[in-house]
Amino acid sequence: MNKDYWNKPAMGLWERLYIFEVIRGLCITGSVFFGNMWKWLTLRKGALTAYYPEEVRSDYSPNNRGRHVLTQRENGEVQCVSCNMCATVCPAYCIEILSTANFDDVFHPKAPERFEIDYSRCIFCGFCVEACPEDAIRMIKDIPDFPAFDRDTMCAPLDLLLNWRPTRDPAKVYPTQPQNGEVHPWAA
Amino acid sequence: MIELTIDNMTVQAHEGETVLQAALKHGIEIPHFCYHPCLSIAGNCRVCLVKVDGRPKLMPSCNLEATPGMRIETVSEEVLAARAAVMQFIILNHPGDCGICDKAGECRVQDYHVRYGEIDPVSIEPKHRKPKLYDLSPRISLDNERCILCSRCVRFTREVSGSHMLGIVERGCHSRVARLEGKVFDDPYSDNIISICPTGALLSRDFLYKSRVWYLEPVRSVCTGCARCCSVNVWRRRKRWHVRSLGAEKNAAAYRITPGENPEINGHWICNKGFDLHKAMGRPRALAPLIAGRSASVEEALQEGMKMLSEAVNPAALISAHASNEELEAFRIALGSRMRVYTREDHSPQPGEVLEDDLLIRADKNPNSRGVRELFGDRPYDATAGHDLVLVWGDLDDYAPLGKARILHLTSFVPPQGQSADLLIPISTVFERSGTFTNFEGKANRFDQVFDKPKLVQHAGELFGGLAA
Repeated sequence: MNKDYWNKPAMGLWERLYIFEVIRGLCITGSVFFGNMWKWLTLRKGALTAYYPEEVRSDYSPNNRGRHVLTQRENGEVQCVSCNMCATVCPAYCIEILSTANFDDVFHPKAPERFEIDYSRCIFCGFCVEACPEDAIRMIKDIPDFPAFDRDTMCAPLDLLLNWRPTRDPAKVYPTQPQNGEVHPWAA
Repeated sequence: MIELTIDNMTVQAHEGETVLQAALKHGIEIPHFCYHPCLSIAGNCRVCLVKVDGRPKLMPSCNLEATPGMRIETVSEEVLAARAAVMQFIILNHPGDCGICDKAGECRVQDYHVRYGEIDPVSIEPKHRKPKLYDLSPRISLDNERCILCSRCVRFTREVSGSHMLGIVERGCHSRVARLEGKVFDDPYSDNIISICPTGALLSRDFLYKSRVWYLEPVRSVCTGCARCCSVNVWRRRKRWHVRSLGAEKNAAAYRITPGENPEINGHWICNKGFDLHKAMGRPRALAPLIAGRSASVEEALQEGMKMLSEAVNPAALISAHASNEELEAFRIALGSRMRVYTREDHSPQPGEVLEDDLLIRADKNPNSRGVRELFGDRPYDATAGHDLVLVWGDLDDYAPLGKARILHLTSFVPPQGQSADLLIPISTVFERSGTFTNFEGKANRFDQVFDKPKLVQHAGELFGGLAA
């Protein structure tokens, strides 16, 4: 069946002579091969292949929606108030939160006891980041490192999500006292 | 009957009925916080304002008696503007911490704010601070900042439970709900104020932060706490929200119990024992058949049970008052003629428990005593009758009063410590089966299956046919 394509290759005389064009192609691939070989012989990194999981690709965009992190307050406690908005909005149902009550802290009576993100189900849509009212969950450039043979082991627990130690972008400062200056009778 | 017009719709109302009641009865929605069908009319929240034809100002419909020919408007621009203004005023000092409030999702303030208001208060004053996480009682936590002072809880303790424990103290924006000073809030119906609170001011300390309410769904069940057989809603996790990494036992747990509205039996209320039904059902379970203390498969246990029954010369059965009518009938058909049938009270009142009162609680702490009595009469166990086999159905603390007979025990929970029956077959609890109980008034109340039964546990009603064969 003969069909005309809009991007049908138009070959000139050089291409139709065939053999010279093939030699030119071999020169290109050969030069890359020998260039990489030379780098490898001189103990440098050759081709741009990243050997996952031992190596991490270096060319992720700074805006990459990679793994999730939980931000922290100034005193090092988790920022999350366990409101479950992220878990509710998650289209993959991959976030599971177990809350705990702290009756001593009037301002943060609710906190996550367990916070599990199932990376075998996560689709990296970023809805959880958008839904969070506390800027507690973010997605950073790094990717979740979960090479595993078993889907059940791909859950990121709370301590893994909390191990983010940024140097340039610290977690926002969270008011531990009401901003209107009035002291809560229960905080005094 | 009175005829009046609400939103160009002619509705009928009884003599003395209010406009709000007539509207709700006909499916016309008028928002309301302080009105509750079982409580007196306070008329203090003002969100149910409606326009009455011929009157210069808007009227609260909860406090407005229906009169013939009345013309009411509930959705005119004037009414909607007033409603939005009332909502704006009600949430003036509301903290708006829905994210950490257990009521979010079933909260009237949240719903009406989204539906009718969504105007933020314009006050330049800082929001008033009041005590939070105040332990009103060991069961209830009070957050005065969230309270909108509808006085439903106060009216409940005055009019329904009669304990007069709560009141509203101080004036103006310092007003708050407080319990009687120096007294413990030990009203046996106290948890009902959690259910009737239109906002998150009163929260159950047991359910606090256990789950968001939209992860849960109610299933109609019956309380087994006493012979009243109140309807309850058992809240289980929705299938869509089943957890995986947090542990599968959370998917088969009853998160909380709320009253099931049943005007025939319990109205809108249940007692605190009913609110604790999931704790009673969470006692350690018997999960595998035991032959003389040794675990066995279901087939082995059934074989052993059949053997014991066929060998017995003078068998007796102790019937459980926690069995449903269907199970009792199954027992009567399969084994009723072969065994001497005795009745008993599975549970007697615990020390400190309210024995009986005028509202709901009954002295008989078993749900289906009446159903048992109707089928088998009332005959306590006679140890001198010389029975060589006793089929014990239901919880039993001590085998000693049964004498030297061999014991075939059907129970949901772990048997008494240090004693082992000759054969123990685990049976399902009220959450794991459906059926009916007959309460002390002779009214049958149906319960639905909430959870699947554990694998080795049997439904008692399906056992007797196998045992009799």
